Amino acid sequence: MRVREEKGSIVKQSTPYDVVIVGSGAGGGMSAYVLAKKGLKVLMLEAGRDYKPEDETPMFNTNDEAPLRGVSTPDKPFGYYDATVDGGWTVPGEPYTNAPGKEEFLWWRPRMLGGRTNHWGRISLRFGEYDFKPYSRDGLGVDWPITYDELAPWYDKTEALVGVTGGGEYHGAGLENTPDSPDGILHETPNRRLHEIMMARGFESMGIPVAPMRAAIIQKPMNGRQACFYATSCGRGCSIKAMFQTTTVLIPPALETGNLDVITDAMVYTVDMGKDDKASGVTYIDRKTGEHKTVKARAVVLAASAAESARVLLNSGNGRYTDGLANSSGTVGKYLMDTVGAASGGHIPMLEGMPSRNDDGMSNAHIYVPWWGYQKQARNELPFPRGYHIEVGGGQRMPGMGIAGLADHSDVAFGAGLREQMRRNYGADIYLAGRGEMIPNDDCYAELDPEVKDRFGIPVLRFHWKWADHEINQATHMRQTFHELIDRLGGTVSWGKGTDGREAIAKGGEIIHEVGCARMGDDPQTSVVNKWGQSWDVKNLYVFDGAVLPSNPDKNPTLTILSLAMRNATHLAEEARKGNI
Amino acid sequence: MAVYTSRIDRRTALKWLSAAAATTLAAPKMVRAATYVKTPQGYGTDPDMLNPTSPWDRIMTDRQLQTTAAMTDVILPEEAPYPSPSQIGVPDFINEWVSSPYEQTKDDKKTILAGLDWIDGEAKTRFGHGYADCAESEQTGLMATIAETDNAQHDFFTRFRKLTLGGYYTTPAGFKDIGYIGNVPLERYPGPTDEMKATLDARLQAIGI
Repeated sequence: MRVREEKGSIVKQSTPYDVVIVGSGAGGGMSAYVLAKKGLKVLMLEAGRDYKPEDETPMFNTNDEAPLRGVSTPDKPFGYYDATVDGGWTVPGEPYTNAPGKEEFLWWRPRMLGGRTNHWGRISLRFGEYDFKPYSRDGLGVDWPITYDELAPWYDKTEALVGVTGGGEYHGAGLENTPDSPDGILHETPNRRLHEIMMARGFESMGIPVAPMRAAIIQKPMNGRQACFYATSCGRGCSIKAMFQTTTVLIPPALETGNLDVITDAMVYTVDMGKDDKASGVTYIDRKTGEHKTVKARAVVLAASAAESARVLLNSGNGRYTDGLANSSGTVGKYLMDTVGAASGGHIPMLEGMPSRNDDGMSNAHIYVPWWGYQKQARNELPFPRGYHIEVGGGQRMPGMGIAGLADHSDVAFGAGLREQMRRNYGADIYLAGRGEMIPNDDCYAELDPEVKDRFGIPVLRFHWKWADHEINQATHMRQTFHELIDRLGGTVSWGKGTDGREAIAKGGEIIHEVGCARMGDDPQTSVVNKWGQSWDVKNLYVFDGAVLPSNPDKNPTLTILSLAMRNATHLAEEARKGNI
Repeated sequence: MAVYTSRIDRRTALKWLSAAAATTLAAPKMVRAATYVKTPQGYGTDPDMLNPTSPWDRIMTDRQLQTTAAMTDVILPEEAPYPSPSQIGVPDFINEWVSSPYEQTKDDKKTILAGLDWIDGEAKTRFGHGYADCAESEQTGLMATIAETDNAQHDFFTRFRKLTLGGYYTTPAGFKDIGYIGNVPLERYPGPTDEMKATLDARLQAIGI
């Protein structure tokens, strides 16, 4: 696409690239932005097709214009209008496997420029000081090689660049292990919706504080982006660029520097090694032609997503590194984590018959519930060691096929009177979803499948998964909390009724927060990269995506992936300037 | 009632009437491998979102489509200014749904096509003519029978009602009826009015919150 078409197996380079980046999502997009701005010559390789939100986003389209009213299908698992291209839980021609006898792990992958930032959930919570030193606090998992204070300035810069909502009236609550941002960074949070006012009152009556949602959506124009106009779901992408996507916010300005080239449909499968034990570049398969092509660079950045970056390393044996590249610790693919998820829905009679109101807002909820149990856990009063936050939903949103469920609350089955019942019950349903921290364990990891290869002949990943009691007990607690809230509000639980955590917990990978597989640390024996995302074994090989996370706090990972990539790419640029790569 | 006229053009209709596609899905070869299985006649993994089409053939007979139209309008009769489902093409949507090649509509297809034939036959037995040609009271009476939870056709009724309501309220006409006023760009997000907040406050206080 944006790079010259090349013939033959070697991509001709008029100038040698300083850095080749594999991936264009949160980690890759931010790395490209920082490095190109710093004057390095950068090549970005993306496995999927080119994608331009300005031209392709179905803004304002209603469900009746879509096949099957837009419901999810195996072709579009999050519904017709979801931005994901050529992907989802499965990708055509690119399988993965689950180890026999283990729990199922699901792996969400798109094949498009910008990756999952095109449809992500946008929730942008900072990890807190406890989150960087979890082992020191409760003896489980491992500590990070950095502290909150070291990352805080990068959170500031990232939030300012990305544009994050969460300021205004309710900001600055100073809640435990829930860092606020310095004044002036966060955009003002829009007014609370009716059901959010109700839910906040309900939680507060339980002694649980509620905070403004922090979401990567802008409330005032910036850098050629329009402010959110409170209509049309963010999961479709955003043609006015109000929500953060690397395809609108980071890749275009990086291209404007003239220092970045992008090649799409480039499926990288191996990091190539020079004779000096340094990486010489990468080799990819052109997905359109099937040709193998090699590119050279002075440094390689992997940002293909946690599991895919691990897959590239494991497939980079080259005969000299039998357990894969950068794997002297044996931990590539290990300590795979996802987020603990459980949800319930309720019907709240006090919301019945309320007048019509516009509940669209900024797509995300305007409130959330940070974890409130740190002190109880410190006193060992809870049967699980780590926290979760609660995401909420409800209101009079654009009807999809689920709207028919309102008839369940009607005493008229059909005919005259049914319309009135539908109006009365519209907007009286709420839902609650817990998002909790999973502790890394020895049972959850990815490795190469000894048999199965994808359509390009590249060995695929085989996942091993098993939830531990820490997570299962947490899911039980989530359901109990949701039920208590719904009951307090005088409602009835309509789904998610059970309180057996084993039944309630989402499958591994299902929350799409998979991280780990190439964790950072202080010790080359137990980690893959150092605190700069630099491989211990191969000095010019870096990992700048979620693979490096040593733990997975409840606070959704993308903001931290972006902040780490900004920090570590800045460090890489500095090293390059000094002639160290 | 009036004969229902499908809202699609003649060429497309003829295409749908052409040979029905084989929709048998190949079973995934590998146990526990997450492998993408292409759905024949599906819209694929990268459809044109700005010009959506559902490319599969429609399988309802005209008789089934007429029964569908009559049933949708018994479930949600016209209530001026709100149109009936058949006035805004909901029967076409139900045909699209039961004709879909996707796995998750398979049970609906089976139950609904059989149910449509059943109710049409039952109308003939009881009243001497098909469901679509019945008097309103006859249509309503038969619907009331299957709306009973212990009736053998109750599953057909709930599935059919789900598609009728879903198909109806996902349209702009349905939005107007149910009171969805979003999907419009706003400079500021207003949130609920003071009056609504006061009503909510009173209701919360009434339960001690």
